[in-house]
Amino acid sequence: MSDDKVVKVALIGNPNTGKTSLFNQLTGLKQKVGNYPGITVEKKIGICKLNDTFKAEITDLPGTYSINPTSLDETLVLDTLLNEKNDSLPDVVVVVVEIENIKRNLLLFTQIKDLKIPTILVINMVDQMKRKGIEIDVKLLEESLNTKIVLASARKKIGIEELKAAILDYKKLDTNPISNITDRIDKEYFTKLKNEFPEFSLYKSWLLITQNNEFDFLNNQQKELVLKFREDLSCIKKYQHKETILRYQIINNVLKDSFKVDKSKASDLRGILDRVLTHKIFGYVIFALILLFIFQGIFDWATYPMDLIDGAFASLSSWVKTVLPPGTFTNLIAEGVIPGIGGVVIFIPQIAILFTFIAILEETGYMSRVVFLMDKIMRKFGMSGKSVIPLISGTACAIPAIMASRNIGNWKERLITILVIPFTTCSARLPVYAILIALIIPDQEVLGILNLQGLTMMALYLLGFTAAILSAVLLNSTLKIKGKSLFVIEMPNYKIPSIKNIFYEVVEKTKAFIFGAGKIILAISIVLWFLASNGPSTFKNAEQFVTSKEENKDLSESALHKKVAAYKLENSYIGYMGKSIEPAIKPMGYDWKIGIALISSFAAREVFVGALATIYNVDSDSENSGTIKQRMAAEINPDTGKKRFDFPTGVSLLLFYAFAMQCVGTLAIVKRETNSWKWPIFQLVGMGLLAYISAIIAFNIFS
Amino acid sequence: MQDILVYIALGLAIGFLVKKYFFKSKKKGNCNTDCDC
Repeated sequence: MSDDKVVKVALIGNPNTGKTSLFNQLTGLKQKVGNYPGITVEKKIGICKLNDTFKAEITDLPGTYSINPTSLDETLVLDTLLNEKNDSLPDVVVVVVEIENIKRNLLLFTQIKDLKIPTILVINMVDQMKRKGIEIDVKLLEESLNTKIVLASARKKIGIEELKAAILDYKKLDTNPISNITDRIDKEYFTKLKNEFPEFSLYKSWLLITQNNEFDFLNNQQKELVLKFREDLSCIKKYQHKETILRYQIINNVLKDSFKVDKSKASDLRGILDRVLTHKIFGYVIFALILLFIFQGIFDWATYPMDLIDGAFASLSSWVKTVLPPGTFTNLIAEGVIPGIGGVVIFIPQIAILFTFIAILEETGYMSRVVFLMDKIMRKFGMSGKSVIPLISGTACAIPAIMASRNIGNWKERLITILVIPFTTCSARLPVYAILIALIIPDQEVLGILNLQGLTMMALYLLGFTAAILSAVLLNSTLKIKGKSLFVIEMPNYKIPSIKNIFYEVVEKTKAFIFGAGKIILAISIVLWFLASNGPSTFKNAEQFVTSKEENKDLSESALHKKVAAYKLENSYIGYMGKSIEPAIKPMGYDWKIGIALISSFAAREVFVGALATIYNVDSDSENSGTIKQRMAAEINPDTGKKRFDFPTGVSLLLFYAFAMQCVGTLAIVKRETNSWKWPIFQLVGMGLLAYISAIIAFNIFS
Repeated sequence: MQDILVYIALGLAIGFLVKKYFFKSKKKGNCNTDCDC
C-alpha cells in the first residue's frame, strides 16, 4: 500500500463483463478521466470508501481478453501489471468475469494469478444464474483457484459491500500460482529463464520475453537478455500456444465440478435475437431503421433546447450591453465572449442526445451486433465495423464522432476513421448549404413529388460520405503504419440499459467536449472578434469618412450606421486579410467579402452566414433570413456585371464547404485524439487542397 | 480602462492557444508499434 490508508486496485476483465458498471457502483461520481502518458487511451480512476479509515483508488483498465496484447489499450493492462515503477501498480487486482462466459473469461484470471499479485475474482451478473440454469459451488471454486470469489451483479448492486470487504482484506489473499504450467511446457527452458531473471516471478519473465514492447523499467542488461530470448521466436510462439491449451485444460478441470449449466432450465431468446439482428438482409434493414430514428431524434429533439440556448445567449448579450458601461470591453463580452461560449454550449443537446443513443446501443449489447454486421464492408475501405457509428455520428458533429472512434483498437483503422470523419456533412454545414442552395437552385418540383432544392441537399450529404469512403481507400493504401488487424468481437448478452451507466457516459462525454474543445473555440472567438473590431487609421476614422461621403444622400440613422459598420469591417484587420487573400480566392469566383466570410468561418463553418450578413449590412437572425438572401442575390460582381452568387460561384462555394476543414474545434479534437500536430495539419492541408481545387474546377466548368 | 481589459483578454486567449498547441510536453513512454506516438 503506497499510502497507508489507500489501497490501489486495478479492475481488469474481458470486454462486456460489466467491469465499468462495477466501477461506477464502487466509485459513483468520484471519477477522474485522463489519458495514459503519451497516448490517448482513456484512463479512469475513481475513489471508493472502504470503511471510515481506508479507501480504495480504483483504476478501470481497458477491457482485454488476455495479457498477450493485440492493441494499444491491451498493452496498457500489461504495463500496469509488470512495471513496478508505475504509479498505478496495484496492491490488488480485481478480475471481473461474466457468469455466462466464465470459461473464456478465466483465461485472463489465471494469467494474472501467475504473476503472484493478490487477486480477487468477481463473478458478475449472478442475477441471471437462475434464468440461465447455472449453479456454482463457490467454496470449491475458491479452493481450486486459490482466491477469494465475490458473486456480484453490478447492475442490481449485489455483492458490492462484500467486494469492498475483500479489497480491505487483500493482504490475506493467497498469491501462489494456480498450477505450475511452465514445467509442463518445457522444464529446462523455463529453468533457464528463471535463472536469467532471478528478481522477477517466472511468469513475469515469460511475459517480458513474449511481448514486442520495449519495457522502459528494465535495465540495459535485462533488456539485452530479453532480446536474446526473443531471437528464437518460433520457440516462443510454440510455447505460447501450449500455454493457452494448458490453461484451458486447467480451467475445464476446475469448472467440471464447481460450475454446472442445466440447459433445460435456460431460455434461448438471445439466439433468436442474434439470428434476426445479424441477418444478412434484415440485419441491415433494422440497423438502417434504428439510424433513421437516431438522426431524426438528434435533429428534431435537439432543435428545441438549441433554440432556447441560442435565444438565452442572445438575450444575455443584449442584457450585458445594457448593464455594463459602453466601451470596447463590453463589446468584447457581448459580441465575442458570450457568443463564443454560446457557440460551444449550443452543441450540448446534440452531443448529449447522440451519446445517449450510443450508450443505449452499447448497454443493450446491440452495438456488438452492428460492428459484426458492418466489419466485412468497412474493412474493404481500410476501416473496421467499429468505424460505422463514428462516421454516422459525424452528420451531427465531427467532434463527438471523433471521440466515439476511441473504441477502435487498431491504430491504423482508428486514425483513418478520425481523418475521414470531417467529410461527413455535419450540422454546421446546414446553414451554409441552405442559403447557397436557396440562391442558386430553383425551387421547383422533380417528378411531381421531389423538390430540387431538397435533392441537392441530399446529394451534398452523399457527396460527404463518398469523399469519406474514397479518402479511406486512399489512406489505407498510403499510410505505412504497422498494426495487426484482428477482428475479435464479443457478443454480449442482451441487457436492459442501466440508466446510471448511460448518465455517467453522457456526462463524461459532454464534459470532455465543453472543457476540451470549448476553451479553444472561446479563445479563437476572442481573437477573431478583436481582428474584426480593430484596424489601422482608415478603420478608426470610418465614421467621419462615411458620414462626409453620405451626407448628401439623406440616409436614415440606421442606414448610415450600417454603412459605417460595413466600412469598418472592410478596413478592419480581418478585412485586410480578406483583401490579401483575394488573389488566391479569385480563381474560385470569390471576392474579398466572401474572403472575410471564409476567414471568419475558419473557426466554425456556420459563421459564414453571419459574416456575410454583417458584410451585406443586414441582420443575421432567422426572421430576416429572406433579407440576407435578397441582399446576397442582389450583389453584383463589378468585373462581369452578373450576380455575385450565380450558379458557378454557388457550386464552387458548396464544394468548398463540403470538403474544406473549416472547423477549429475538430482540429483541436484530432490533435488531442492523435496526440500529434501532424494529423490535424495533414487534414487541414489535404482537405483544403481538395476543396480549393474542386472549387476552381467547378467554377470554371460552370462559368 | 476597457481597452486595457480587452488587451488582457486577447493576451490570455493568445497565450492559452500558444501554450495549448506549442508548449505541451509529450512523454514518449509506453509506446509500441501500434501507436504513432
